[in-house]
Amino acid sequence: MSLVFDIALVAGLIALALHVVVTRDGRGAILGFIAFGLLLGIGWARLASVDVALTEAAIGGGLTGMLLLRAHAHLGREIAPEAMARGEPRRWLAPAIASGLVALALGAVVLAFPRPAPSLAPQAVAALETTGLGNPVTAVLLAYRAIDTLLEKIVLILALVGVWSLSRDAAWGGASQLRPAVIPEPLVFLARVLPPFGVLIAVYQVWVGADLPGGTFQAGTILAAMALLVMLAGLRPAPPTQARALRAMLAGGPALFVLVGFLGVAVAQGFLSYPEAIAKPLIVGIEAALTLSIAGTLALLVAGPPDKAPAS
Amino acid sequence: MPESLTLVALLVLLASAAGLAIVLRSAVAIEKLMAVQLLGTGGAATLLLLGAATAQPALADVALLLVLLSAFSCAAFTLGEGEDPGDAAKPDEPA
Repeated sequence: MSLVFDIALVAGLIALALHVVVTRDGRGAILGFIAFGLLLGIGWARLASVDVALTEAAIGGGLTGMLLLRAHAHLGREIAPEAMARGEPRRWLAPAIASGLVALALGAVVLAFPRPAPSLAPQAVAALETTGLGNPVTAVLLAYRAIDTLLEKIVLILALVGVWSLSRDAAWGGASQLRPAVIPEPLVFLARVLPPFGVLIAVYQVWVGADLPGGTFQAGTILAAMALLVMLAGLRPAPPTQARALRAMLAGGPALFVLVGFLGVAVAQGFLSYPEAIAKPLIVGIEAALTLSIAGTLALLVAGPPDKAPAS
Repeated sequence: MPESLTLVALLVLLASAAGLAIVLRSAVAIEKLMAVQLLGTGGAATLLLLGAATAQPALADVALLLVLLSAFSCAAFTLGEGEDPGDAAKPDEPA
């Protein structure tokens, strides 16, 4: 029975992907893409990768969709609709061939995997006790391969600096304009009702991430989505990017991570190694700070470069 | 029991897929948005049933996220609404 389910799921995914590619209307394609992200979340859940499923639902179904919708609205303002719709008749051929080749190559690689696949999973689970955690994915992210996670968070901040640097000189340090021209009444209602649930779910995700699927990135994405919702409905303006509190929040997570890392040199075996007795409290503390940093970074990445001059 | 739960999950998935196929074919953008809402609820139901069938309670968390973010994408959709003359000319709601 589960085989039939998987076949139906994969068929749905392929059909939806084709729909996204074939659709002419940009917004329709973006909506199809959001739906694809949600369906792909079910796919990852079927593969027993619940952590990936959570991330896919949050990023693919949530923030990426909004990023694309915002880009589309922006393009619609700058370019006439006729210019967007026009295209050379054979333009799809080269991308179609290239994508087909990549898909074939990926398929060949997946079929060529050795069986049983080489895996470090048993070692990862065996060493879980020393970290005090129950979720091997969190242990890999924040203990075994903490340096990768640290660099990844710093890259996120660099990306934000890149987006900010696209602002005009006059708007540097100002805030992004997010509110749409017309704010429908139901949106204001949604922006009042949904964020309390979102914040609760995000806190739950961070807390449960130590022992069960969940974690900082998912929680940060949910918080970012809730912050964007409030800004979209015009309940609160986007924060000016020169605000000290905002910048402290953005840098706080990675800074605490680096600090704890160097602490490891003094009291444990080296950089980014935790003393075994307090490994779990340290990891949960880093996760909490990282969640806020990720939430701020993602929300501001989607909000785009500041385009309103600072008030001062 | 797990078999029958998976069967029900399959039925819910197929029903959502059938709805999706119809909704996505519409020319009105707001109706396409309903595809996302449909997957939010249908996907959450599928995941809850699968979680019960495979004894993975964590799937309920994924279902929770699906519902939350499909509601969020509704809000994201208002971006560009009422700005684009091409869209404003189209009837957004069937009369």
